[in-house]
Amino acid sequence: MIDALFTDSDYVATKKMLDVTLLRHQAIASNLANVETPNYKRLDVSPSFEAQLRQAVAGRDSSEIASLQPALAVDNNAISGRADGNTVQLETEMLKLNQNTVENTLETQLVSGSLARLRLAITGKG
Amino acid sequence: MINLLTGIDSTSSALDAERIRMDVIAENIANANVTKDVDGKPYQRQEVVFESMLRAQQDSDAPDAGSQTVQIARVQRDARPPRMVYNPGHPDANAQGMVAMPNINIHEEMVDMIASSRSYEANLAVVKNARAMAMQALSIGRHS
Repeated sequence: MIDALFTDSDYVATKKMLDVTLLRHQAIASNLANVETPNYKRLDVSPSFEAQLRQAVAGRDSSEIASLQPALAVDNNAISGRADGNTVQLETEMLKLNQNTVENTLETQLVSGSLARLRLAITGKG
Repeated sequence: MINLLTGIDSTSSALDAERIRMDVIAENIANANVTKDVDGKPYQRQEVVFESMLRAQQDSDAPDAGSQTVQIARVQRDARPPRMVYNPGHPDANAQGMVAMPNINIHEEMVDMIASSRSYEANLAVVKNARAMAMQALSIGRHS
């Protein structure tokens, strides 16, 4: 039955979100690296992934959540306010960078919390 | 090879590129009054041209739109004409007493320098955050 502890849909979804924060960090690193490259278009995690994950979490289907693969895509909603066609805005990226790191902290703590509860259940002491 | 610090490729390429840009700006400011460059003409302002490069995908399950690194495509000369200054006593003055000075505007260089150091800082913040995330990942499941 120990298997069920690791296939719980919330636990699987948290792990998936950890992957997403790493991927988004990669996108932000790329965006900030190219903040002054003409015609560079900002990247982000593809919006279709978010919709799929939301659906899978609502259905509480662990195997479906685990099979989802987040991907990077060009952010078409970003508008260029600059003459060089670049769609990166430094301030927005910095905010997203910090937001993403906080999200990552939250998710690592959720995973750690699940493991700590499991340990408590096994040993009877924290 | 595993990559503990996500996005480090993009960030390191950007730090390298900004460093080179800073070197070019330093060269421009240092040569702002050079009337005789190696070719005998006044020094010409140089500027860097950035271009992005799709990071080579090593793993097969990599996402389609890969993250990009940045590199300096070339360092090109600014074709604007030299600044003409009236200074008949100067050894490089022409018959009318005008001296061709480099086409450098110190204010422009200073603004470029600030922009460059701001992007440098932004990229350092990315590494700092990547490091924080890596440390958190390493502490998953640790006894608190």
